[in-house]
Amino acid sequence: MFSLFTDNIFIQMALLASLLASFASGVIGSFVVVKRISFIAGSIAHSVLGGMGLCLWLQRTQGLTWLDPIWGAFASAIASALFLGWIHLNYRQREDALIAAIWSTGMAIGMIFLSLTPGSNVELLNLLFGNILWIENRDIIRLIVLDGIILSLVALYYRKFLALCFDEEQAILQGVHVRALYLLLLSLVAVSIVLLMQIIGTILVIALLTLPAMLATLFTNRLAVMMGLSVILCALYSIIGLTAASVLNWPPAATIALLSALSYLLALPIKKKFGKYR
Amino acid sequence: MKIEINDLFFSYDSIEVLTKVNLQIQSGEFIGIMGPNGGGKTTLLKLIMGFLKPAKGKVTVSGKIGYVPQVHKTDRDFPITVSELILLGALSKTTIWGTYPAHIKEKANLIIDQLGLTPHKNKVFGSLSGGLAQRALLARSLLSDPDILLLDEPTANIDTSSSALIYQLLEDLKGDKTILLVTHDLKTIIERVDRVISVQGTANAYYPKDVCEHFALGLYHTPLLGLPENHFQEKGEHVLTIH
Repeated sequence: MFSLFTDNIFIQMALLASLLASFASGVIGSFVVVKRISFIAGSIAHSVLGGMGLCLWLQRTQGLTWLDPIWGAFASAIASALFLGWIHLNYRQREDALIAAIWSTGMAIGMIFLSLTPGSNVELLNLLFGNILWIENRDIIRLIVLDGIILSLVALYYRKFLALCFDEEQAILQGVHVRALYLLLLSLVAVSIVLLMQIIGTILVIALLTLPAMLATLFTNRLAVMMGLSVILCALYSIIGLTAASVLNWPPAATIALLSALSYLLALPIKKKFGKYR
Repeated sequence: MKIEINDLFFSYDSIEVLTKVNLQIQSGEFIGIMGPNGGGKTTLLKLIMGFLKPAKGKVTVSGKIGYVPQVHKTDRDFPITVSELILLGALSKTTIWGTYPAHIKEKANLIIDQLGLTPHKNKVFGSLSGGLAQRALLARSLLSDPDILLLDEPTANIDTSSSALIYQLLEDLKGDKTILLVTHDLKTIIERVDRVISVQGTANAYYPKDVCEHFALGLYHTPLLGLPENHFQEKGEHVLTIH
């Protein structure tokens, strides 16, 4: 089985991409869990289909061959993150229903463009269900650059994000620009989702964003430690899931998501027995 | 003048919560805020902090506000240590790299010591008892060095030693900071406060000597209810009829 990693360049690239995506996923996923915005993250993840579908349609029918669907994914993820943030800040009474509406609207736009686009839609299917073996050099470079941006911003604003997630009102009294910071956090969630999407696909991305952080929170009560543990768990799930999928001939994305969920379920009784670290 | 409220009206959707509120609070005053649940106490605090906008009228605040919420309204599952939480009171003083300067950490340690939290500072906030957690929230607010300190029922459902320590600290701060304390514990604060504000649809300020026994009984009558002047009977040192 070891030769699977040494001989196969696709597997090596996939592992490298998984490790790189784990940094963004573990760090941003921890914020998603403690700020309790998993539903918002799910909505962002599903709304990217609209942007990808539009780019693919422009690429195939309008001759914009340079327009990679991944840029449509980034644009629609950030646009829906900012819109969801604006709703959260201004229309809290109906927030949950509006999140669900954006979730389905993005998917609907994507499906319409999918039906209008001629030829095979393998790229779209790869992004929907994930295809880690599809990783190219430019994806690795993009992962490195965006990881660097995400981690630098989190390091710089760590304490402000901590205040925002723990107690928004106190953060306002301390002079923090809570509205701008909240929109920045959602934008980082959006970018992380697109990075993870290449590994696990749009439909299952929320599993890899939240389950490692949820498991980590069972065993630590420090946000910084939670982030570190989440990064490690995310990398482990990706590597073990990918290997298991190759051996069992299962879809890699589904295998990774299932492994994450099973680990969390197994950890619950362990946590109950030993308690939290205090 | 630290806080001035003129002809303030506030409603949630169509339900009026506060009507025609007029208050002037001087610098250094210690005010007790009382009233029934749902009477508008927390709404009044939120209007003073600027989290809510009045439908009509004006709130003018001069100085920095520190707010100590009720401990049960905080997220006790949040992964944060006591010292991390207290240092959030100095967020406006972080360096360009987002770290806390050494003198802020020293000041935080002094406040932690003053509030008897030193043995607990590396513990997780959610593992503290209600009394210790409330002290930690007070410490965070004090680290921000506010001119005005708003406290929302800081001694509700906490142990007596924590409660005594909080009252002692407020006594020490009296005159130096403007303090607004929401409480149901009139008997304990009546000796300490300069004025009591009754909040029940509107707000009326009284001097302690004018507060009637019905406050202590939790009935929160005001002259607006149109009760006859001799309704309240004079009893005890601080129990007098409202005129």
